[in-house]
Amino acid sequence: MSVLTMNNGAAVLGGRRIWSDASFAIEPGTITAVLGPNGAGKSTLLNIILGLVPLAEGTMHVLGEVPHRGNLHVGYMAQTRQADTVATMTGRDFVGLGFDGPRFGWGHDRTKKEVVRQALALTGTTSFADQPLHSLSGGQRQRIALAHSTVFSPELLLLDEPLAALDLAAQAEIVDLIKLLRDTTGAAVVVVAHDLNPLSSIVDQVLWIARHQVRCGTVDEVVNEKVLSELYGQPIEIIVTPRGRRVIVGLEEELAHPHPHGHDHSHEGLHEHDTDNGETHSHGHDNGHHAEAPSHEHHVAKNLELGE
Amino acid sequence: MSLHDLLVTSFVQHAFYAVTAVALAAGAVGYFVVLRRQAFAAHAIGHVGFAGAAGAVLLGLSPIVGLLVFCLGAGLLIGLGGATLDDRDAVVGVTLTAALGLGVLFISLYSGYANATYSILFGQILGVTWGAVGLVAALSLGVLLVVSLTYRPLLFVSVDERSAASRGLSTRGLSLLFMSLLAITTVVAIQIVGVLLVFSLLVAPAAAAEVMTSRPLGAMFLSMFLALVSAWFGLFLGVWIGGPVSFWITALASLAYLLARLAAMRRARRSTRVVA
Repeated sequence: MSVLTMNNGAAVLGGRRIWSDASFAIEPGTITAVLGPNGAGKSTLLNIILGLVPLAEGTMHVLGEVPHRGNLHVGYMAQTRQADTVATMTGRDFVGLGFDGPRFGWGHDRTKKEVVRQALALTGTTSFADQPLHSLSGGQRQRIALAHSTVFSPELLLLDEPLAALDLAAQAEIVDLIKLLRDTTGAAVVVVAHDLNPLSSIVDQVLWIARHQVRCGTVDEVVNEKVLSELYGQPIEIIVTPRGRRVIVGLEEELAHPHPHGHDHSHEGLHEHDTDNGETHSHGHDNGHHAEAPSHEHHVAKNLELGE
Repeated sequence: MSLHDLLVTSFVQHAFYAVTAVALAAGAVGYFVVLRRQAFAAHAIGHVGFAGAAGAVLLGLSPIVGLLVFCLGAGLLIGLGGATLDDRDAVVGVTLTAALGLGVLFISLYSGYANATYSILFGQILGVTWGAVGLVAALSLGVLLVVSLTYRPLLFVSVDERSAASRGLSTRGLSLLFMSLLAITTVVAIQIVGVLLVFSLLVAPAAAAEVMTSRPLGAMFLSMFLALVSAWFGLFLGVWIGGPVSFWITALASLAYLLARLAAMRRARRSTRVVA
């Protein structure tokens, strides 16, 4: 049985039609990448699956049920979390909230400690689980967040931009962990992303959301010149590099990572300023260099503050 | 009169019970104020309360009635105004300004003795009646009870609003609940340290605790402990040496924060030296 089925689904937010005529299924143990420009409705799709936003038209079933909030079989990892930057809290405490955070009252579940310990071990986070989250690197925080959202071994795991604002090495690390989690739990994983390349080795299926439409299929079925040119109504060229990375020509602006802004990302880069190895990003932007200069200054400023 | 005689007088006894209950509630709620970075909201609620108290005095009512009505109203307005933690500043700012304007109007209309205004601004715990102590203690214990029952969900929405919503928690409902708790705590804290020094019990102990530990439950209890110690010694020094109790409490709570920051800086320097 499919983990998720959508038939002729449409999303409407504030009277505005986001996308429609979406039909697809997600099978157990598969990894689905959700791609498309900012504002195309990728996060809206996750919100609908989570039961936070109603489906405007069509039908959707998640594990045989109409989507509803608080479904323990569905795990979710948000793109940004207050815990990472503002709140002072250890990774272990944050994973613990995945276990009993929604529970009111005085009761205490004795199994919590063991469940949290296992989640930390599975995600390889035990060694830094007792440090405050804001002192960790971006990649370490994502690993903790993955432990948080897989505490109950969900059958469907939704990840909103788990690779955003990570350097290439950390991206590869998280991609490996996503694959490991899929292999050990057998969950279906849905990953919202801006760039297919870091994920291409583990992706079984692609959902491309753009221009109010949703295209679904294997990577080759969707990410080809014919489908994308038709979807965007303009000629799109795809260059495949010798190492198998796809450079999509004609969508550079649309697929660029959103630039870091505000306090949410102020700590990013502190631990990752030395990893831009000059490889060409598929979307042709020099984000790495943009991020590098200020983060280096940050680093120096911090050292001065500590009296070095 | 000896120190012992002073300490057993009824007005010092009343004050002791009141500061104990209020410090525990303010320490607990203050932890969430610092965690959620909502010090500005706490600041605004206090100032709105000032308008309420001034209005109540003008109408010949007890200031605490005006405080409760206005603080709760402001808390709910702030809680409703912003759907997420990020977009509340403008709502808070406008609420604050509108209320302060009203407060100015009420004071200008009130021709009587300004003592009531003074005690609302700077606190006046010595001289409270048993009735007032009972009300303040009951409100504080009620706040503590609700915090203990909603601790985990409050913590969850404070550190990962989106994930908490996906797990079925109402972020708006919890936001309204928290702002109500904050409003009531502000009202009782104003009884002791006044509108202008309300941060001494509501923010300083929690900020010091957050610097000292990263464990949420530990930080909340530490915050309550620091608030309690500041309040007890503040009361004691106010009676023994003299000077306003609210000044002593503010001085001690700020000192606790300063010491916590200095200790954290020493720790950081030592650990970088080890790395180097």
